This record gives sequence, structure tokens and C-alpha cells, in this order.
Amino acid sequence: MNQDDERIAAASSFILQSPPGEINDVLHDVRVIVNGVRSAEEVLPGDHSSVQWTDPQEEKLAQGILPALRDYNLTQFITVDVPGTSHQTIVSDIARIPSNDEDQERFLDPRSKTSFKFDHLSLEATDSRPAELDVDAEPLRAALESSTLSYLAAHYRSGVVAVFSVQPPSQFIVQIVANKYNPSNYWSGRWRSQYHIDFDSQTIRGKVLVNVHYYEQGNVQLETSHDLTIPIPPAVANAEPSSASSKILALIDIEESRLQRSFNDAYHEMAEKTFKGLRRALPLTRQKIDWDKVLGYKLGAELTAGKGVFTTS
Amino acid sequence: MADPVDSMLDLMRRLPPTRVEENVNALIQLCPDYADDLLGSVDQPLKVQTDHATGREYLACDYNRDGDSYRSPWSNEYDPPLEDGTTPSPKLRKLEIAANEAFDTYREMYYEGGVSSVYLWELDEGGFAGVVLFKKVMNPSSRDDPSGSWDSIHVFEMAERGRQAHYKLTSTIMLQLVTRQNDKPEDASSGIGSEKKNSEQHGKKMAGEVNLSGSMTRQTEQDWPLHDASSHITNTGRMIEEMEIKMRNLLQEVYFGKTRDIVYDLRSIEDLERAQRQRELQKELVGFIKR
Repeated sequence: MNQDDERIAAASSFILQSPPGEINDVLHDVRVIVNGVRSAEEVLPGDHSSVQWTDPQEEKLAQGILPALRDYNLTQFITVDVPGTSHQTIVSDIARIPSNDEDQERFLDPRSKTSFKFDHLSLEATDSRPAELDVDAEPLRAALESSTLSYLAAHYRSGVVAVFSVQPPSQFIVQIVANKYNPSNYWSGRWRSQYHIDFDSQTIRGKVLVNVHYYEQGNVQLETSHDLTIPIPPAVANAEPSSASSKILALIDIEESRLQRSFNDAYHEMAEKTFKGLRRALPLTRQKIDWDKVLGYKLGAELTAGKGVFTTS
Repeated sequence: MADPVDSMLDLMRRLPPTRVEENVNALIQLCPDYADDLLGSVDQPLKVQTDHATGREYLACDYNRDGDSYRSPWSNEYDPPLEDGTTPSPKLRKLEIAANEAFDTYREMYYEGGVSSVYLWELDEGGFAGVVLFKKVMNPSSRDDPSGSWDSIHVFEMAERGRQAHYKLTSTIMLQLVTRQNDKPEDASSGIGSEKKNSEQHGKKMAGEVNLSGSMTRQTEQDWPLHDASSHITNTGRMIEEMEIKMRNLLQEVYFGKTRDIVYDLRSIEDLERAQRQRELQKELVGFIKR
């Protein structure tokens, strides 16, 4: 690996670790760090301030980190305003329309039945075009989308959903993402859910990921990852689209709320067992330590001889 | 242009605390010239080493490191051995031995286990500085048991001013808590036929992990009376004890309160729309009564 590649690899790894809503802060840091390294290498010591960055070098880094930015956006369920609509959708692997030409990568918004190009740096969608959806799957997909939107309104303070029909037939994917960024109070959070609804095997397989970052005079992060399996009762699976979809979302609601309640159990266990087990609030005596006693007479006497030694020696 | 070191520290404040070692190494690879700045300002989990001479465990960090060797507070020896490794002056070493004994007692009383180490060094401008370290790890006894680790790093600088001593203390606590969750049948104990009723039977499953990890840092400056050299131990002892009590409360608040509140800010278990309708209905009723 040459030095440019090394820098790009390190920068890419940092980008992929960015907490919710802090990708721009991480990018800014990475730019300063990488430029700083170059300045130390290429100019005489003490001459850093006079360095002017030529565009080709910045361009090289920007190009180099694009794959990592794309990866980050897709795995983190980054949301985007869909051109010509008043709603947002999720940019993810599922939304990606397969194409051989990487420059022509497009993403699908099933809700508006359009596709768009996405800029992974500016996070903007452009070049909206009508998209064709699977006609057979559409009634059920649309019903699931409508039920998911109702579910979102009931349980998420702000969030975005995307519902896709995928191959083989009778397979659907529901994605939900909710973000809260509060940089002035030094915290951010992201909730991601994805449910693969399979009418063939009559099962819902879900993955729920929660990330919280609290960074006032510190850096504390909550990271949760859970897999859910929910069977679909035959009566639900065979119902007509609107009834089936509202029942499926009710099943998801029950399990997702159960998961959220289980966080309380985990918190309780960590606070009561682990936290208390690591360090007591006070010693067994329920009193703070008597330091004079801890030091002991013998030890004290031995050290008394050396009064003030540390400034006079 | 912004200072690269500031940007590195800002970056470390954002990246996952679980990967601090990996990321510090990547930054050092990227900018070897800033290695000392970085190692001196970013706290990393303490490493437990065993003193070959005494068999006792001690903690390794940047403050007892010389090259690739670490000095044990118990034997004062470097491992791997160094012929000319930096050690405190005989007088300061005497205080270091006493401080190690005192904080080891403190460790036993508050941590009931774990490892402690104290390292002292002279300052060029007179006075001395030191670091007091505690580490405790809880390993799970079974796969689904919670695990955790606590690392305390208290760095202080002392300047004697006549019969007073001025202390500047910077304390960092790193805390990691992990709980694995595996769906247990909800009503397995509810009597006859319970096996058929439990969630396993219905095919519902939930499995995952909750990981809370991070670090918090606080500073304080205080003057304490100086009776003799041993006062430095009682003074820093009281300051560190006070600081750990304060920070333990703070950690409890942030870990179990703040992060949970943010999760509930993202998703609500109760139906938000229903709650909203109820509030509106209540408002309306109040309006009727007033009329």
C-alpha cells in the first residue's frame, strides 16, 4: 500500500464508525488530519501556515473516501428528500436498482414509483424518473406501506419508512429509521429496523439496531443489535392485503415494543449487577475512608522525616 | 488551518469507545510525528501485567512506560528489563511505595477486587506529578451473564506553596457494560401445558446484545494543608475519593438515564397518536367546564 492508499484506508475506517448525525464532523476532522500529515512531510518545519492545498490532492482524498461514504449511507439508512414529492425515503442496499454501470447507480422510491441518482457526499437526490414496480406484488406492498406509515406515526416521533417488494415473489422488506440529532446538547441517536416479510414461509425476520452517542465532557455510546423472528399466523397470511398488512404491523408493534421493554431489563441488570459489582458507592462501613488511619502510624512516621523534600531536594 | 492534534482528539471523542485502541493505532500510523501528543491525551484501557519479582499484578499505561517496557510499582523493575529505565528519586520512590499501599487499601474497600497502581515522577519546575490507577473486570460466568470493566485514571500535579500544597487533578473513568439477551419463554413456569404456551412454541424469537461503553473526564484544582510528606497521600486520597464518588453518580446518570431517555425520544412504547388525541380531548373538556 502506498501512503495515499494508507490514508484513504484509515479515513474510510473512521467514516464507517461515525456516530449518528456526525459524519460531517468526522469528515472535517479527517480532512484536517490528512492535510496536517502532508504539511509536516512536505514543507520545512515551522512553515505549515504558508501551505496552500492544491485541488488535485483534496480531490484525491475526496474520490478515495467515496466508497466508504456510500457504504456508510447504505448501512446507516440515510434518508433523502425524494424529488418532486413532499416525503423522504431511505437509501439502502435494498433500494439500489441493480446496474452494471457504477456511475449510473440509481435508487428506488416505491412510494412515488420513481427512481433517482444519489450524491453520497451532498446527500441529494437528482434525475428523478418513473420506475416500474412488480405489478402482482403492488397491492400488498402498497398496503404494507400504508400500515407502516400509520405504525410510524404511532410510535416514532420522527422517522422515515420504505417498503419494497423483492424477489422471489411474496417477499417484502419494511425499513424504518428514526434519527435525533442534538449537537448543542452533545447527543445523537438512531433507531434502525428492517423486517423481511416472507409470505411463503409465513415468517417475519427482523433486525433492530439502536445507536446513541452522548459526548458532553466524555464519549458514551449505546449500541444494541437484536434479531427477531415472528411467525405469521396462516389466517393473517391468507387475508386480503389491507387486513393482512395491518395485522402484520400489529405483530411487529408487539415485538418491537417487547424489545424496547427488554432494554429496561438489560439496563436494570447492568445497573444492579455489573455497575454495583464493579465499584461500590461507599465501602462496607458506609463511610468514606479515614485516610489518616489508612496511612498508619508507622508509615506516617517514616515519611515525616522527609518534610518538604520535593521542592528542596 | 486547524491543529491536527485538536482534530484527532475531536475524532476520538466521536468514534466508538469500544475501538479506541484500534483507532489510536491507526492515527499513529497516519501521523507518527504526533504519536506522543496522542498517547499523552487519549486514555486507553489499562493493561494488567504481572510483576515477575513479586508475582503481583500491576497496571500498565503511558505513565509507567519507557520505550517498550513498563515499570512495576511493587518491585520498581521494568519488564522487559531496562538498564537505564527512568525511576523516581529515592525520596519520591519512598512516597510512591506508601501511596501504592494506601490506594491498594482504598481499592479493596471500594472495588473489592481488581488491581491498583500509583506512579509518581518529578516535575522540572519543582514538585511532582502522579497517576493513580484502578481497574476491575467482571467476566461473565455464563454466556448470558452481563460483563463489564471499569478503568480509573487519575492524573495529578502538585506544587508546594509553603505550608500548603496545590493539586490539579484530571480524572477519567472508562466504563463498559455488556448484556446479552436471549428470549426466555415468558410463561414457562405457569403450570400445566406451559410448554405449549411459551413463545418458543409459537416460533417467536428475540436475541441480541446491549452494549454501553465510554469514558468521562473531569478536572478539579484544590489547595490542601501540608503537614509532612505523607500529607500528599491523604490529600490526593481525599480528592480522588471525592472525585470517584461524584463521577460514579455522573456515570450512573448518563449510562442508565440519559442514553435510555434518548432511546425513548426515538421510539415510544405508548401510541403517540392516541396520547395526542387524549390530550386534545382533555383540553376540550376543560374548555366545556370553563364555559
